[in-house]
Amino acid sequence: MTTTSMDTMTAMPDAASDERVATKRRLPKLGVTFGVLWLGTLIFLAVFADFMPFIRGYGQSLDGATNTRFGPGIDFWFGSDTLGRDVFARCIYGARTSLTIASASILVGTVVGGTLGMVAGYFKGWVDRVISIFTDSLLALPAIIIASLLVGRFDVLADSDIKFLGFGFGWMSRTWSVTIVFSLLSIAPVARIVRAQTLSLSQREYVLAARSLGASTRRVLWREIVPNVIPALTAVIFTGIAILLAAEGGLAFLGYSVPRPPSWGSMIADDRDKIEEAWWTSIFPCFMLFFTVLAFNLIGDRLARRFDIREAAL
Amino acid sequence: MRYLLQRFVQFLIVFVVVTFIVLAATRIGSSDPLRDLAGGQVNQERLEEVAADYPYLDKPLVIQYGYWMTDIVTGDWGYSYYQSQSVMDMFKQRAPATFFIVFWALVIGLLIALPVGIYSAYRRDRIFDKATSLSTFATISMPSLVVAVLLLYAVAARTDLFPTVGGSNYVAPWDNPYEHFKNFFLPALTLGVGIGGVWSRLLRADMVLTLQSDFVTLAKAKGISPMRILWVHALRASVLSLITSVALQLGALISGSIIAEQFFGPRGLGDRLVFAIQQNDLLTLQAIAVVIVAVVVVANLAVDLLYAVVDPRIRAARALT
Repeated sequence: MTTTSMDTMTAMPDAASDERVATKRRLPKLGVTFGVLWLGTLIFLAVFADFMPFIRGYGQSLDGATNTRFGPGIDFWFGSDTLGRDVFARCIYGARTSLTIASASILVGTVVGGTLGMVAGYFKGWVDRVISIFTDSLLALPAIIIASLLVGRFDVLADSDIKFLGFGFGWMSRTWSVTIVFSLLSIAPVARIVRAQTLSLSQREYVLAARSLGASTRRVLWREIVPNVIPALTAVIFTGIAILLAAEGGLAFLGYSVPRPPSWGSMIADDRDKIEEAWWTSIFPCFMLFFTVLAFNLIGDRLARRFDIREAAL
Repeated sequence: MRYLLQRFVQFLIVFVVVTFIVLAATRIGSSDPLRDLAGGQVNQERLEEVAADYPYLDKPLVIQYGYWMTDIVTGDWGYSYYQSQSVMDMFKQRAPATFFIVFWALVIGLLIALPVGIYSAYRRDRIFDKATSLSTFATISMPSLVVAVLLLYAVAARTDLFPTVGGSNYVAPWDNPYEHFKNFFLPALTLGVGIGGVWSRLLRADMVLTLQSDFVTLAKAKGISPMRILWVHALRASVLSLITSVALQLGALISGSIIAEQFFGPRGLGDRLVFAIQQNDLLTLQAIAVVIVAVVVVANLAVDLLYAVVDPRIRAARALT
């Protein structure tokens, strides 16, 4: 592992490293620090929200009060909405929903897409062509449209008593269906990047060396290709989560995401017409969404530059 | 030429696969497509009437796809009972709004990207470059939903210039340019800002490389003005990634237009699409999806053609094969 990565460094053609210097964006290191801190805090709060005394329940409303909408202040940090629910608490629980869906999907997308991309890039020929047509097709799908269509259809499927291979679909909640759809949609971009990486990796001397020493295809893939694709994949994962978070927002806005606990997108969608009287109900979820996407992008961008993969690929 | 033909066949396959996926997706969990076509809860006569129009519904999905695609290609898009309107009429009525949102979003995106990309590459690492680098990164990370809310809060709610939430209507630019601007500016800006950020960064990265190449030095030595070098010579050699991205993002822009339409107004295809998905209005859904996929595929093909026009090196390389 160590030797192969050293080989990668020395085998890197000069042109590539020149390009990396040339395209280097000088974002301050501050960016990554911010990203890590923001995500750390957010994930911590989201995971332990139930045990935090200062986070109310996301559906809990004030009893007996006629005017339940308060601006941001000591009691309600982010204010409260029309039903008297704490916007801050809803934002934190929203993080739980959004982050779970995005990271689970990207995980599936990475495993499936990574495998497909690696196989396509390594074996080339007709395998590559078939897989490329598959990924090209997935990429040509209008993502938000197909996502809302599928989630809508999965709702019907879950309510119906249709059985497939003896299994019903009653278990398919919105969380499941959104995750499944996002997993499908994240396969193609990952596959494309990994394919390109594998294509160039398989030309490297150490791969040739391993093959001429008689290493089996499986061994070459696992021991030579996979370890060298992983750095690029980490960047893809972070950028991918950022994209999925934004997509989830859009999907929620159209009413096809998880309604409870509310995701940021559905909070924005629900309260956008009250923006003049109660700006905090939609502006704060917006900020949460923006800063979280930004944090993932900042880390992803740093990793991408560190491991020299092209931004345009995603 | 052979290369282009190859690409054409490839895109044709992609088109067929994608539209088939769309057809299959609309049927998930639907036990009775006939009822979906006829408009949900309707009487027996209507059902029989529709069944006579679509005799192939009990055939395998692949056969159905063949019939359906033939209908679409020959312009027979069917009649949507949900909207009491033929799908083609609906399309003609709604498509212009979506077209103009996407078109103006493209224009705004390019108006941001060209000057920012070129100038920040020209004055690399100076203050302008750093400032734009930071702000384009921020706009990239801003989902269109967030942009929409911020625009709504900062602009629409505070001035009388623009229609209020969801109040925009479709006005053709040749009827009343000012009204057209008022109705389309915010939705187009919503999509244009993000896309402009992406393109600025792409263009800057390519431009930085181009500006280091020999022909730029030669052009400088010949005394050509910096403006001309930047905007003519260097730009032409640097727009490949930009053009690719424009084509690739076209599909995303049309999808994004759904959100912009829901948010600000001019009710276009996206609005119909949302209703069609809710009601499982198969014909409307499938027709709009096919058109979008076709646009994306054609745009990709056009990029391949444009590559050859923009970059003579690719033209030369292709000529050899």
